[in-house]
Amino acid sequence: MKTLLEWLGFGKHELIVENRNYFKTFDRNKPLEDYEYVVLDTELTSLDPKHGEVVSIGAVKVKNLRIMMGGAFCCYARPSRPLPKDSTLIHRITPQQIENAPPLEEILPDFIEYCRGAVLVGHFLKIDLTFLGKALKKHFRGTLSNVWLDTLKLAQSYEEYKRRHVYSDDPVENSFNLNKLAVKYSLPLFEKHDALEDAIQTAYLFVYLAHKLKTTGCVTLKDLMVSQSNAALPSDQGYSTA
Amino acid sequence: MNQTTETNFADPIAVVQFLKKVEPFNELGISVLRKLAGKTILDFFPGGSKILEQEVSNVEHLYFIQRGGVRIESVDPVDGRTLKDMREEAEYFGTLSIISGGKSVFDVTAVEDTFCYMLERDTFMELIRERPDFAANLWERLSREVVGGVYEQIRSQKLQPRPEESLRLFNSPIKDVIKRQMETISADASVKQVAASMSDNRIGSLLVTDPSGQVIGIVTDNDLRNKVVAKGMDTSTAVRHIMSSPVKTISDEKICFDALVEMMHSQTHHLAVESANGISGVISAHDIMVDQGDSPISLYREIVAQKIVEGLYPLSRKMPLIVRSLILEGAKANDVTRMISILNDHIVSRVIGLVDQELGPAPYPFNWLTMGSEGRREQTFFTDQDNALIYETPPEGWDYVKDAKLFFRRFGNLAVKHLAACGYTLCKGEIMASNPKWRKPYAVWRNYFDNWMNAPEPQAVLHATIFFDFRAGYGQTELAERLRDYVVNQAPNRGIFLMHLARDCMSTKSPLSFFKNFLVEKDGKYKNRLDLKTRGLVPFVDFARVMALRHGLRETNTLGRIQILGENGLIPQELYAETMEAYEFQMQIRLVHQIRMIEEGKHPDNYIDPLELSDREKHTLKDAFEVINRLQGYLKNEFRVLE
Repeated sequence: MKTLLEWLGFGKHELIVENRNYFKTFDRNKPLEDYEYVVLDTELTSLDPKHGEVVSIGAVKVKNLRIMMGGAFCCYARPSRPLPKDSTLIHRITPQQIENAPPLEEILPDFIEYCRGAVLVGHFLKIDLTFLGKALKKHFRGTLSNVWLDTLKLAQSYEEYKRRHVYSDDPVENSFNLNKLAVKYSLPLFEKHDALEDAIQTAYLFVYLAHKLKTTGCVTLKDLMVSQSNAALPSDQGYSTA
Repeated sequence: MNQTTETNFADPIAVVQFLKKVEPFNELGISVLRKLAGKTILDFFPGGSKILEQEVSNVEHLYFIQRGGVRIESVDPVDGRTLKDMREEAEYFGTLSIISGGKSVFDVTAVEDTFCYMLERDTFMELIRERPDFAANLWERLSREVVGGVYEQIRSQKLQPRPEESLRLFNSPIKDVIKRQMETISADASVKQVAASMSDNRIGSLLVTDPSGQVIGIVTDNDLRNKVVAKGMDTSTAVRHIMSSPVKTISDEKICFDALVEMMHSQTHHLAVESANGISGVISAHDIMVDQGDSPISLYREIVAQKIVEGLYPLSRKMPLIVRSLILEGAKANDVTRMISILNDHIVSRVIGLVDQELGPAPYPFNWLTMGSEGRREQTFFTDQDNALIYETPPEGWDYVKDAKLFFRRFGNLAVKHLAACGYTLCKGEIMASNPKWRKPYAVWRNYFDNWMNAPEPQAVLHATIFFDFRAGYGQTELAERLRDYVVNQAPNRGIFLMHLARDCMSTKSPLSFFKNFLVEKDGKYKNRLDLKTRGLVPFVDFARVMALRHGLRETNTLGRIQILGENGLIPQELYAETMEAYEFQMQIRLVHQIRMIEEGKHPDNYIDPLELSDREKHTLKDAFEVINRLQGYLKNEFRVLE
C-alpha cells in the first residue's frame, strides 16, 4: 500500500529507499566472485532523452562470475505515447507485443526487486540508466542507487592494457560495439530477438572481461570500477544499437 | 504481482537450442530441454586454466562445451600424464566422474578460451532416473569413451573404433565381472576391524553378516569416510551402526549395464550380487566403469588383487585393448613393449607365486627364468612361453637330488599349464620349465652356457638367441644374477663364439632389392608380404646381443643394449643414432599392424603388406632397412668375419 504522501508524490517508493540505503554502506573491496551482478539491456523508442521511453527490459544474473541462464528477466512495456512509425530502434519488437504489455511503472517494482543488492552491468549502461532513471523519477520519485559497471569501458580498459603490455598484430580496433567485441573475443554469438539476447551477450562479455582483467590485477570490485573510470570516454563511433 | 513475476521470466532459448545439438540430449524433447535450460549455468574458463583436477575437484556439474575445447588427461604416478581425449563444441564431460563418486576421474584443462554450460549434478542424476531410455543411450556412449573408441580423432587414422568390442563390457553378465571372492564381516566387528579388512583385501566394501552368517548389510569405504571419519565417530563402534541395510541386490545373470542402472536408481555404488545359492559377491560402479577400463594401472591392480590362479586366466587377453589405447595416446613402441612386459611379468609372477604357495616350501631356493623376447622385455601380443627354472645346486647325494627333481617337476608342469591357460601358448621348441632339460640346478646351467660358448655349433647359435637373453623372474633373483655374472665374465673372451653370432647376424639380408624395393615373400600364405620380424627386427636384436656379450653388458633389452653401447662409445655415434631410430620405427609399425589384425579378428603376425603403408612410412622403413647393411658392415670389421 502506498502512503498518502507517496500517492501525492512526496515520498519515494519503499524499494527505492531500501535500495539506496543498501548501497550507502556497500563494501567494494571484496573479490569479484563474491558479488551478484544483474546484466541488463533495454529497448527504447528513441534515444532522445526528452521523448524516449523504455519498451523492453532484458536482464540476467551473474553469481560467482557464472551466468545463471535460468531465471532471466524479460519484459515488454507499453509506452505512454504510440510508437513512432519510423522507429528503427525497436525493430525487434512487434506492435502486438507492446500493445498488450503493461505500462512500465507496473514492471519497475519487479525489476528493482530483481536488482536488489546486485551490481548492475550493461554495455554503454549510461543510456539504459538514463531512461530507466527518468521513468523511476517520474513514477517513484527516486532512482537506482546500485553500483554499476560498463562493459564498454571495461573493454576499453582491457584493450588499453593489451596495447601496452602485449605485442599484437591485430589492427587497433576503435569500435566497441557489442557485436564487434563479441566477434573479436570469439564469444558465442546470440541471435537478436530482444533485449534479453543483448543482455545475455553482454553478460558473456562481462564474464570474459572480468576473467581477463583479473590477470591484469583487477581482483576486487573496486579495482574494476577504478579501471573503468580510467577508460577513455566512449566515442560516438563506439555506440550504436543497430 | 505474481502474474507479472511469471511473465517477466524468460526461458533461455539459446540454451535449449544449444542442447538440441548435443547427442544424446537432443532426444529428450523440448519440454525437458526447457527445464534443463532453466537450471543451466554458464561459466568461462580462460585458455590454459584447469577446470577439474583429478582426484581433487568435486564434480558438481556436467559440463557442456558451448565454445572452445578441453583436454582430458589422466595423471598417474607410473605413466605420468596421458592424454585421454579432447572435447570440442557441443560435447560434454564430467559424466564418468559424477557416476564414479564425485571426485574428478581426470584432469580437465581448457585448451583455449572456453565457455561451458553446466548442469547441476542432482539435476543430471534426476534426469537419469526419470528417463531410463536416455540413460541407456548415455551409458552406451560412455562405455565407448571409457574403452577408447573416441580417441581415434587424436591419433593413428589406421585404427578403427570397435563399438561392439567396447559395448561388450556393458553387456557382459555380472557373474563374469565379479573378480573377487565375497568378503564378509560380523555385524559386531568394530569399524577399526572393517578398515583393516578392507585394506588387507584391497577392497572398498564388505558385506555384513549376522551370527547365522546371513548377509544383513553392506559397509563401504565411503561409509568409513562420511560416517566415521567426518563425524569423529569412535573406531570401536560396531559396524552395524554404520552399515547400509538391507543391502541392495542384483542377480548375477543380469548384465553390467543393469547393475549400473540399478546403482543410479538406488544412489549407491555397490550392489550385492545374488546367485542361485544366495549372495555371492559385490559389484561396484568402479568395477564396471574403471577397472574394466584400458589403463595399464587398472590391469595391474586387477592382477595383484587375484587370489586364485584361475582369476588370472582372462587378464592377459585385456592386453590388446590397453596397448591400443597406449598407442593412440602416442606412446613409443619400446615403451609399449616394456609396458606389456611389465604387465606380463606381473601376471607370470602372480601365477608362479600362487603355484609356489600351493606346492608348499621348495626344497631349494629357485628362480623362474624368462627367456627370448620376454627376457628382452620386447613382447608384443600372445607370445610363446620361453621359460626355465634354475635352483640352488643340491648337496651331493641322490636323496637331495631326487627331492629337488620331484618338487620342481611338479612345479614346472603346473606353472606351464596355468600359463598356457592364461593365453601364453606353449613353446614349439619346448623351451619351458616343463621340459626336464630346462629345469636344472645352477651348476648345470653354468655348464650349459659354458658349452654353448665353447662349441660354436649351429645349435649353440640358435640357443644363444633365446637363452642368452634370460632374465630373473619370480623367486630368488640372486641365482639368475650369479648366472649372468658368469656369462658376462666369460663371453667377452669367447672370440670364436662371438664371431659365429656375428656371422649369423650377417646371414640375414636386408629386405631391400638392389633397386631399393621391398623384398616380399614370393609365394605361400604370406605372398607379397614382408616378414618384418625375421628380416627387419631380428638383425637389430642379434646385433645388440652380440655386441652386449662382447662388452660384457648385463642389459637384455635391445634398445637398452644399444643405448649403453652408444653412450659408452662402444659403437660409432652415427650408427648408434640411426640404429635406435630404425629399430623403434619398425617396432611401431609392427605394433600398429598387430593391433589392427586383432581388431579384424585375426591372429596377429609379423607380415606387413607394403601396400598398407603410407609413402612416408615406406620411405622411413626403407631407411631403416638400409641401417641393417651398415650394422652388418660394422660387425664384419669388428669380428673379422669372412664371408
